[in-house]
Amino acid sequence: MAKAKRDLTLEEQWAKGPIDLPFFTLTLLLLGFGLIMVFSASSATAFYEELSKHDPTYYAKRQFLFAVAGVFIMYLTSRLNYQQLRWMSVFILGFSILLLVLVLIPGIGVERNNARRWIRSIGPIPQFQPSEIAKVGVVLYFSARLSKRDSEMKLKRPKKWDTRTFYGRLMVFLKRIGFLELVPYGAILLLIVVLMKFEPHMSGTILILVAGAAVLFASGIRLGWFVGGGSLMVAGLTLIITTTDYMTKRIDLWRDPWSYPKDGGYQTIQSLYAIGSGGLLGLGLGRSRQKFLYLPEEHNDFVFAIVCEELGYIGAAIVLLLFALLILRGYWIALHARDRFGALLVVGITTLLAFQVFLNIGVVTNLFPVTGISLPFFSYGGTALMIQLMEMGIILSVSRQIPAPKQD
Amino acid sequence: MADNIRPFQRPDGDRRANRTIFRRTMFLMVLFGVLIFLPLLWKLWTLQILDHEFYEQKAIEQQTGDKAVAAKRGVIYDSQGNILAISATVHDIILSPRDVGKLQADYAKKVETAKEKGKPYPNYPEPTNDFIAQGLSEILGTPKDDLLARLAKTNSAYEVVAKKTEEEVSSRVREFITENKLSPGIVVQPTTKRYYPYSTLAAQVIGFVNADNKGAYGLEAMYEEELSGEVGRVVTAKNGAGTELLYRYENYIDALDGYDLHLTLDATIQHYCEKALAEGIANADAQKGGFAIAMDPNTGAILGWANAPTYDLNSPSAIYDENLLKGLALLKEDASVSEEEYNAAVANARNTQWRNKAVNDTYEPGSTFKSVVLASALEAGVVNENDTFYCSGSVNIAGHTIRCHKRQGHGSQTLAEAVMNSCNPSFIAIGQKLGAETFYQYLRDFGFLNLTGIDMQGESGSVVWDEDFFVSEEGISSLATASFGQRLTVTPLQMLCATSAVVNGGHLLTPHVLDSIVDEEGTVIKHVETTEVRQVISEQTSERTRTILERVVSEGTGKNAYVAGYRIGGKTGTSQTLVAGEYVVSFLGFAPANDPKVIVLVALDSPKTASPESSYTPNGQFISGGGMAAPIAGQLLADILDHMGVEKQYTEGELSGVDTMVPKVTDFPLAEAERLLKKAGLTYRTVGDGTAVTDQIPAAGATVPGSSEIVLYLGGTKPDEAVTVPDVTGKAPQAAREALAKVGLYMKATGATGYYTSSTVAGSQSVAPGAQVALGTVVEVRFADNTIYD
Repeated sequence: MAKAKRDLTLEEQWAKGPIDLPFFTLTLLLLGFGLIMVFSASSATAFYEELSKHDPTYYAKRQFLFAVAGVFIMYLTSRLNYQQLRWMSVFILGFSILLLVLVLIPGIGVERNNARRWIRSIGPIPQFQPSEIAKVGVVLYFSARLSKRDSEMKLKRPKKWDTRTFYGRLMVFLKRIGFLELVPYGAILLLIVVLMKFEPHMSGTILILVAGAAVLFASGIRLGWFVGGGSLMVAGLTLIITTTDYMTKRIDLWRDPWSYPKDGGYQTIQSLYAIGSGGLLGLGLGRSRQKFLYLPEEHNDFVFAIVCEELGYIGAAIVLLLFALLILRGYWIALHARDRFGALLVVGITTLLAFQVFLNIGVVTNLFPVTGISLPFFSYGGTALMIQLMEMGIILSVSRQIPAPKQD
Repeated sequence: MADNIRPFQRPDGDRRANRTIFRRTMFLMVLFGVLIFLPLLWKLWTLQILDHEFYEQKAIEQQTGDKAVAAKRGVIYDSQGNILAISATVHDIILSPRDVGKLQADYAKKVETAKEKGKPYPNYPEPTNDFIAQGLSEILGTPKDDLLARLAKTNSAYEVVAKKTEEEVSSRVREFITENKLSPGIVVQPTTKRYYPYSTLAAQVIGFVNADNKGAYGLEAMYEEELSGEVGRVVTAKNGAGTELLYRYENYIDALDGYDLHLTLDATIQHYCEKALAEGIANADAQKGGFAIAMDPNTGAILGWANAPTYDLNSPSAIYDENLLKGLALLKEDASVSEEEYNAAVANARNTQWRNKAVNDTYEPGSTFKSVVLASALEAGVVNENDTFYCSGSVNIAGHTIRCHKRQGHGSQTLAEAVMNSCNPSFIAIGQKLGAETFYQYLRDFGFLNLTGIDMQGESGSVVWDEDFFVSEEGISSLATASFGQRLTVTPLQMLCATSAVVNGGHLLTPHVLDSIVDEEGTVIKHVETTEVRQVISEQTSERTRTILERVVSEGTGKNAYVAGYRIGGKTGTSQTLVAGEYVVSFLGFAPANDPKVIVLVALDSPKTASPESSYTPNGQFISGGGMAAPIAGQLLADILDHMGVEKQYTEGELSGVDTMVPKVTDFPLAEAERLLKKAGLTYRTVGDGTAVTDQIPAAGATVPGSSEIVLYLGGTKPDEAVTVPDVTGKAPQAAREALAKVGLYMKATGATGYYTSSTVAGSQSVAPGAQVALGTVVEVRFADNTIYD
């Protein structure tokens, strides 16, 4: 016990290092920027809505409170020794999978727009999307397990298969090409994809797959698997797009929203109006016109369109630059992390963030077909923001244990 | 143990794995930290910079509401400031069955909550279709079933159930809406309606507007741009639900109200024209109506312009004329006439009543044209007042025999007599003296080859021979017929303008209906000045022509137009139309002859004939301009001159017959009474033997013809017995006067009284024969010469 205690003390010392200030500052900058934009974008809707009692600051106030709570959670998380997450990861993943099952049960899951993505608020816990937790769960578990990959391979006595049987030879072959190693990850991802198919939640699924893939990729899984998996995904998507009416329609809407100004293309058109009319310098903060009941979801998924309208190309580019800096700094932390677990953890979370930014802005600018995805720090949504900040807290926690540069 | 030292001595595999993680993380760093932002920045660049204007335009289009602000349509005034056309706000009643459905759902919901939560029930009646239809039907008078059928169109939000309702109705609808909370199921929408206070007055000139308040006909169409003004715009920002953001208004462009038109038409003169025309049409039973135009010969300003058949400007689509209605009724009863044919006939009737014949159509002017020929000949110097012409009753031109309307011939006549008799052979001779080339030149100079340039729509041109043909050998018979106004068709307006030039000193003027365009502040935007096209003849020639034309009325074929004191001059005309048995009878007159103040052209189209080939009416009157158009034209001129305040001029002979007001002589000594009566130009006889006048017939203030005999009672009062009016129609003037005097009545002669001939007889009397009237009543007797053949 004493020895363990000594070890813990050392751990504690490591965990008491300084957080990465650039990353922390960028996070707060984006959070502040996001809060202002949520206020600006939501004010018109809040003013017109019955729900908000015509108070223009309704959404802004709520988002602010969540942001304060989120920053607190980020602080607490950053204080946590992330090594603890190694053992927690199994439970977090298991818990998130349980939630993904629960969300499908009517009464617990809230149905919205023919989809069941939210678990209703219970007591003090506000309603949230279990997929948000599943993302963290996948990243944590994959990082924890993949960080021990080579030691696992070495320490475990390799299982011997009877090469005389076909089964044995097959297993040997599969092991050699690294398939066996991938089975648990694949199974987890497959389970989550299947569960989320029931919600359904396309964009969430994509994010989880990307996060999982990022960790797998970084950990050194053979590239061939990514090429193969990637081609398989492309083939599958093509099949879905060409065979299902729903997806074909989506693609049509994406390619030519102007032909469907009423049914489906409306949101994209309104978003393009907002972005395009912003010009170089924008209409000025708070002076968006599109937010006056033209652009749906103007303070949620499409808040970036309002940013473009009010602050112009310059403002939009500054937001993108801030995100880029945050992401680069995230990878920098991963590169300097004390151990593989920390590195993979940060790679997973950072990639998740980057991909979400890319997807959201791509959708808003009609670079991709419309899918419901929020912009980190900017989109209105309390729990998502808190979880996002908690993820940032994990990165900060990893940043604490970066060894100080050698002074030689 | 081996585990413990591993951190310090990383095995190769471990190091290799770390390197892999490092390399791959670097790769992800470049990909997600840099590369993914490139397409985003590029896409934003195209949207925000390259296509900025396109999106901005589109966005502004949807973000701004463009509301029209109606401009008030200008008022049309006559020359005296009377309003001929004015716009006022009225309301359309619109049903929105879709919103009615919502109201019904709301109501049902309220009832349900009331039931569940014990809240009070709605305090207004249930908005059922039946309730709404019933209520509106009572207010609007529309059949309830129609309204129910409209309400059944639940997808519609715009069902106009009543158009342009007056305030009285729309306010009741508004009440119905508020009382029963039916907004927005029923909407009262303001719009404008054009009112024509004088209904039928000058209908073809003023014209009307269509359902969209755009000028459709007449001056309303001609001056559409000036009258309509400019619609204003309010450009405001609006939100996605279409609600205006009032505090974000962007722009306001004022509506520019339409300009007012001041016409040269005078509602009173116009009324005289219409009255005269209606009278003429009734007397002649003219099948195709006619027209009467009055113009100021010195300015070209049209003073009155009546057309028949006419219509009510307030409901232009309704057939107004009785003759047209009768024809349509016959068609409707006729089983062999299909619905389509009937509808075509209705459309045709509409066009007929809308048509301004005097400018849209042409006619053969007939003998009225002779005044132009006369003036041309006098100006050219080929004839003078001392020339004589012989008429044998017919003349042979190029192998054709052309007859004079007096078969036995007029014999030898002076120039003036030839004109008074409207003698065709004489005018053929005058035309030949002029020569085809000069004649054609005068046709041109008098404006018969060009449009008059009047400010009315659809002016048609004349149909006149080609000059080369007219002056050639073959054209000789054309010259002959042209000399008495046949075989050339011109518009009535051309005829009027040419004659105006003949009598006004030779100035051919551009006629006009518009006097000025004035904006709302009274600033004159445009004033129509008198425009002289050219001087055609000299002042002297004009005066000589007037003198002869005045004699046409005082002694010749125009004598039925004679009214003492007005010095009317003019020329009659009777011309056959292309349809056999149809004539146009006309009179072109002006007054006073020494200084014309007004010129009129009255024409009646197709007086009813006794038989298709006959030249007589069913009651035996010869169809002629002198017999039918002249009497009404004469009275019309007199009325107009009175209205214009032109002082009367009497000749010596006329003076004795001038109407005189009987002075009050009752209660005066006889000697004083005698003095007063003498002063008034009246004679008297006495009844009784007192010295003071105790009563008189007629009573003081009555108007009697000059030199009439007044009965003075010296002691006692006049008998108050009534006398029976005798029938004097058909009697010669002297006989008529005696017949009336015999029973103690006075006669006032009107009509052809300037120059009595043996054929001048009483045509009508103001008090019907057999009526009981007081002693001394003045009976107006209209004389006419029914033997006039032109």
